[in-house]
Amino acid sequence: MSSKVERWCGLLILLVMAVLIVIPFLSIFLASLQPAGSTVTGLSLPENWSLDNYRQAWTAAGFSTLLRNSFVVALGVVPVSVALATLAGYALGTMNLRGENGLLLFFVAGLTIPVEFIVIPLYFNLQQVGLGNSLVGVILAEIALFMPFGVYWMRNHFRAMPRELVDAARVDGASSPVILRSVLLPLARPALTTLAVLVFMWSWNQFMLVLILIQDPDSRTAPAGLGFFVGQHGLDVPLLSAGTVIVLLPILLVYLFFQRSFIAGLLQGGLKG
Amino acid sequence: MAKIVLDGVDKVYTGGVKAVDNLNLEIADGEFMVLVGPSGCGKSTALRMIAGLEEITGGDLIIGDQVVNDRPPKDRDIAMVFQNYALYPHMTVEQNLAFGLKLRKISKSEIKRRVSEAASMLGLESYLKRKPAALSGGQRQRVAMGRAIVREPQAFLMDEPLSNLDAKLRVQMRASLNQLHDRLGVTTVYVTHDQVEAMTLGDRVAVLREGRLQQVDTPKKLFDHPVNLFVAGFIGSPAMNFVGAELQKDGDGALLKFANHTISVPSSTFSQRPRLRDYLGREIILGIRPSDFDDAELQREGDPTMEVTAEVTEELGTEINVIFSIDAPPVQHEETAALAADAAGDGEEMEGTGMPLSGDRSVFTARVNPRSTVRPGSRLRLAVDATQLHYFDKETGQTIGNPDLE
Repeated sequence: MSSKVERWCGLLILLVMAVLIVIPFLSIFLASLQPAGSTVTGLSLPENWSLDNYRQAWTAAGFSTLLRNSFVVALGVVPVSVALATLAGYALGTMNLRGENGLLLFFVAGLTIPVEFIVIPLYFNLQQVGLGNSLVGVILAEIALFMPFGVYWMRNHFRAMPRELVDAARVDGASSPVILRSVLLPLARPALTTLAVLVFMWSWNQFMLVLILIQDPDSRTAPAGLGFFVGQHGLDVPLLSAGTVIVLLPILLVYLFFQRSFIAGLLQGGLKG
Repeated sequence: MAKIVLDGVDKVYTGGVKAVDNLNLEIADGEFMVLVGPSGCGKSTALRMIAGLEEITGGDLIIGDQVVNDRPPKDRDIAMVFQNYALYPHMTVEQNLAFGLKLRKISKSEIKRRVSEAASMLGLESYLKRKPAALSGGQRQRVAMGRAIVREPQAFLMDEPLSNLDAKLRVQMRASLNQLHDRLGVTTVYVTHDQVEAMTLGDRVAVLREGRLQQVDTPKKLFDHPVNLFVAGFIGSPAMNFVGAELQKDGDGALLKFANHTISVPSSTFSQRPRLRDYLGREIILGIRPSDFDDAELQREGDPTMEVTAEVTEELGTEINVIFSIDAPPVQHEETAALAADAAGDGEEMEGTGMPLSGDRSVFTARVNPRSTVRPGSRLRLAVDATQLHYFDKETGQTIGNPDLE
């Protein structure tokens, strides 16, 4: 096959996939512009554009509080997760510790445990230590939840760095903390950004964990607000869609902002391996 | 500056692989010691143990007059140059050079002095503000050297520092390395698999095989008096030719018979290698350096000759390599097998060994005078310098009656 045909085929496949992914979002966005209470079918352009749903959704679900809670949780989870994952990944990736493979396996095994499995015992555990119904409890639980992937991710990143770089720093007289701070971290920005964006996204989208750990509706996070539109007033699709867009928007903005280094981080492993 | 002593050093990896086996080596203060051997011979492991990057399983490592087995690299006062340079990609050349000095809390003015001194020594002044990615391979290599030089350490350790450079640059850097060592006089341990590099750089060369030291001596001695088949075959390019031959008494001297050739050996051979007498009437392995052949037409009279058919000729200008085969099976010995395996790894270095085109015949290389009229397919009478022949025990592969060992 000539490279031209190949390129067009590739483009076509990408285009189809992009359309498949974009259409649901587009339909949500269009629905959110329909008058409240109307029935929405498929992709229909609204007759008169109105942002009124957004106003309604915002006040009805109390998004100012919910979004603030979401940000508090994310701001608590992201830095701590990234910091802990970096430290553990550094140790497991560069130090040739005794039993490091077992330890890594232990972490990776955590990836296989679904949150649904542990959320009920977790609820009681947090109650016992007085962190029930509190954002701090949620933050701690999420940090633990994301640790397996974080450790695995950072460990692979550090492992992919040329070993001689660390050796050179050691011979130059650097201690372990100095090697991490002065040599490895400056080179790890794409990996760190990617991890931070992923953790932010996961934390933001965490629904069931928050729903079960927190009973006070005002202390829940943004996705919980979407439940408000289902059931209580029947199903108001345009309002629900507006709420969905509100919840989605921060992730979209974060992604767009870090897009460049996010993609660089994802590609890094592949190119070196 | 300091001497480095390896006293019975072992390295056993978890799983029981013995990478270095009872290595005894004394590197004098200011000496340029090259560790050479095929890949997997333990030379890099040995170097990394000196650096402190690899734990020592057994034996003692002494730098200066202290046992440093348990000291971390930063307390050994050594500098290392890596094969892939290992420059810090996010730092400028200047920062790369200064990094180790800063960590050692050396004053700013002193750092500045040392960095600019090393930069001018290596011709790096105009690149100080650049990052490694903006440098050519040769420039990166010089920065890596500079990073070692500014440290003013007890010893330099170099792990195949030239092997990522192209051939021309390698020759050039080899020369500057030589100059640099003359100028700084710092004890240097240099690891390479390239025997040409080893011969040109080393004050002394240590040949390793499978974690064991085979021989350590000056390049000249290694070339002239290898202790065994392995060293004989590894040192020298094109490699030494080997063939099984029968040693027969002939008056005061002897005759060497192999295939349809006979070479007469002068009696002086036996006074130099008394133990060779014990092998009279027995089969030995004969080694002939390609350079100990010449075209008999252009050679003084009196040397024994062999009549051969040239199969391939490589005209290099300063000499012609004539490749021919001999009607005798290739020498099968554990040590020559190791050489053949290594030659298969990087073919251009050792063109003599393991050429499969000849089936069950030994392939020989002769290096003859460029004025020779030899052409592929033509008959050629080769003179052999019978005083320079090498004799090896068929079983052990050891040199017979090596004058140095007697």
